[in-house]
Amino acid sequence: MPSSPDPMFAGLGQALRVGTQMLASLIVGGGLGWGADVYLFATAPWGMAAGLTLGLIAGIRGARRAAQQWQWK
Amino acid sequence: MNDPLHLFELHPLVTLTPFGVDVSLNKAALMMFLVAGLVILLMTGARASGSLIPTKLQSVAELLVEFIRGMIHDTMGRDGMRFFPLIASLFLFILFCNLLGLIPGAYTVTSQLAVTGVFAVGVYVLSLVVGFRLHGAKFLGILVPPGTPGWLVPLMIPIEIISQLARPVSLAVRLFANMTAGHVILGVLFALTISGGWALGWLPFSFTVALYGLEVGIAFIQAYIFTVLTCVYMGDALHPH
Repeated sequence: MPSSPDPMFAGLGQALRVGTQMLASLIVGGGLGWGADVYLFATAPWGMAAGLTLGLIAGIRGARRAAQQWQWK
Repeated sequence: MNDPLHLFELHPLVTLTPFGVDVSLNKAALMMFLVAGLVILLMTGARASGSLIPTKLQSVAELLVEFIRGMIHDTMGRDGMRFFPLIASLFLFILFCNLLGLIPGAYTVTSQLAVTGVFAVGVYVLSLVVGFRLHGAKFLGILVPPGTPGWLVPLMIPIEIISQLARPVSLAVRLFANMTAGHVILGVLFALTISGGWALGWLPFSFTVALYGLEVGIAFIQAYIFTVLTCVYMGDALHPH
């Protein structure tokens, strides 16, 4: 029994995980910015714009990190 | 049959409201008890013989345990084995929920965002607790990736906070969306089979058969992704950078 999980499983798992991760970063970033706009400061629409930008950067960074881990195996 | 989402609706089977608290039993709760019972039964059953030459059930259980152990070793290293009970029960529970949900008439518990959300948030909060317990305030260092130039730090901290918060969200939404989407497609194709009658019904029905196989694969892959990401987050808490 090999110590590492089934290669097909592992590869598919790694690939499928990137997409939702990017989407979730965008949602969280945009949501935080929107929340800051509406509930904390009356700065609409700038908070949401900044939040979406940060979320986009975070999502791309996460995807890049996932791809890097993939290369090691 | 007109509404492909009606199979996800939950109605109380047994109404229980002791002390005014609504703990009515519905199909999803019943399925969760069933799945938990089945997992416990299978695993203790596999252990019962305990012979050197494994029985059929025992070799399946050994295969699963080896698989989960390999997953933990690859992502967390050797000292991750202390989380083996958590990871193994999470994997087996989600896997059996996904697989048993494919039986016609059964309910797919993981198609409820409430269930996957509680799992994801619970796992994420646990990884934070573990991280802060082991490393104290130094654990906040995960917010600044190594090798960041000083002038970038004020920008990197909000970005890292967002990517941290995105972890439970993506964990919960991925499992929920995959299971829900698969069952909606199966439901729509079955509805088409019935409305197609004898002349055309065979076409969507053959798609249903093919998709059913795909759904079994997805049940495995989604359970695997959920647990492997749990391992990755726990590993980050054990060894930040």
